[in-house]
Amino acid sequence: MAEPAPADPQPESRPAGTLYRLLAWLSPAYPTGGFSYSHGLEYAVEAALVHDRATLVGWVGQMITAGPGWIDAVLCAHAWRAVSANDDQALDDLADLAAAWRGSAETALESVQQGGAFLATTRAAWGDARLDAFVARRGGDAVALPIALGLAAAAHGIALDDAVLGCLQSFSASLVSAAVRLVPLGQTDGQKAIASLATLVAATAVRATERRLDDLGSASPMVDWSCLAHETQYTRLFRS
Amino acid sequence: MTAMPDAPFAHPLPVLQRGDGACEVRFERDEGGLCRARHVYQKAPCRVLFPTVEPGELPTAVVVTTSGGLTGGDRLRLDFTAAPGAAALITAQAAEKIYRSTGDDARIALTLKVETGAWLEWLPQETILFDGARLRRDTVAEVAAGGRLLAGEFLVLGRTARGERLTRGLLQDRWRVSLGGRLAWIESLRLDEATFDALGHPAGLGGAVALFTLVYAGCDAASRLDQTRALIGTAPDGIRAGATVLGDVMVVRLLGQQAYALRREVARLWAGFRQLAAGLPAALPRLWSL
Repeated sequence: MAEPAPADPQPESRPAGTLYRLLAWLSPAYPTGGFSYSHGLEYAVEAALVHDRATLVGWVGQMITAGPGWIDAVLCAHAWRAVSANDDQALDDLADLAAAWRGSAETALESVQQGGAFLATTRAAWGDARLDAFVARRGGDAVALPIALGLAAAAHGIALDDAVLGCLQSFSASLVSAAVRLVPLGQTDGQKAIASLATLVAATAVRATERRLDDLGSASPMVDWSCLAHETQYTRLFRS
Repeated sequence: MTAMPDAPFAHPLPVLQRGDGACEVRFERDEGGLCRARHVYQKAPCRVLFPTVEPGELPTAVVVTTSGGLTGGDRLRLDFTAAPGAAALITAQAAEKIYRSTGDDARIALTLKVETGAWLEWLPQETILFDGARLRRDTVAEVAAGGRLLAGEFLVLGRTARGERLTRGLLQDRWRVSLGGRLAWIESLRLDEATFDALGHPAGLGGAVALFTLVYAGCDAASRLDQTRALIGTAPDGIRAGATVLGDVMVVRLLGQQAYALRREVARLWAGFRQLAAGLPAALPRLWSL
């Protein structure tokens, strides 16, 4: 049974065009290549840890509340704040932290490949001097996706709550999309999974905007293990 | 002072209300090529011993926490360095017990420095969290270009032999590894009031009560991955294991349903790895005897 999503907080307070940007950036059509990654879910299905809608919702729920999705959401929030405060040093430190805070070779690729593509596309299509300046400062250094998203969102006036909710929603929707192919699940079952995660995603987004970096950690060793096991999985559709 | 006798200390200290212990050891290679501890500092409840080792084995330091464990508010600072060209092994005399806290966090700050051309091994025994324990541990590794670090951390969640499971408290166990001055790998495991249900969750601990993380940092990490996977092989029942390489850092994770079975697997893996990576004896410190 899908739970209703909480009411949108004060939509009238959004500056014109900001929601439009966020929806465009987080659409599966935005060319970041997100469809080719499963963050270890492909192995979790192989090992029968995820085998239907209920187990999928449980798995993804743990990933966003106490796993890699949670880490990324908090990093995204801190990047947004650093940019809003015009604190380049804090943003650069966060970029270093986020690039190193990766559980496996494949999930590192997943994040920095998407982060790089997101930045390149957003600079080309939407532009912003702060994005250009960040890329110039970083040189060729890898940029994790949550940093790219937090940076672009703050630079374009997107609210912190919206950016973090978007970070978590797109992370979970991408996993569900992978599961629809892998388990497999029907398209409607996939959407039911997304609907039943709505309340959790919204509550987690609020928590993520409040979490200090010093108290940030994950509790998902089985997800990390699945990501490692995926590297040696015999038949693979996904790159992570 | 370069070495201390391998003898038990005469007057074990009682458990302190607020321990604030420290231990520093710096291994150096002298003109004759001999590697020994040149700098040793210890502050109760920490002691460090330098046992006589088997021929062919590395100079070894053994850390002793004379209080037997930590409770809320206790602090432990451990700094170990392998100077250029040095090679050493540091281990612990016994499992570190983290007792139930009445509120404050116990803190362990571990720094592992490996300088050019050096090899450093850090293989402590288990850290056992009692139910209600509060622990924040930070492991910071700084490996210079050309240095190699082999470090492990072994966590046991609850006094599992008596069936205890964690239901409250705090665990925040962080790794921060730099190579040649650049941040290379970060991880933070955190169990708190909001996330204790992770213990039984399929995507959390999946029922595991013991975790081991092996980190190998060095320019040959990527080239050791296949051998390491072969060494891991097919994990025994009740153990999940895997390896990956991020840049020049290899990370091996083991999750165990039983602490003792995992200890045996850790011992096998560690012995095999130090042999293949550094040609060292495929053996563990005697204190690690199973």
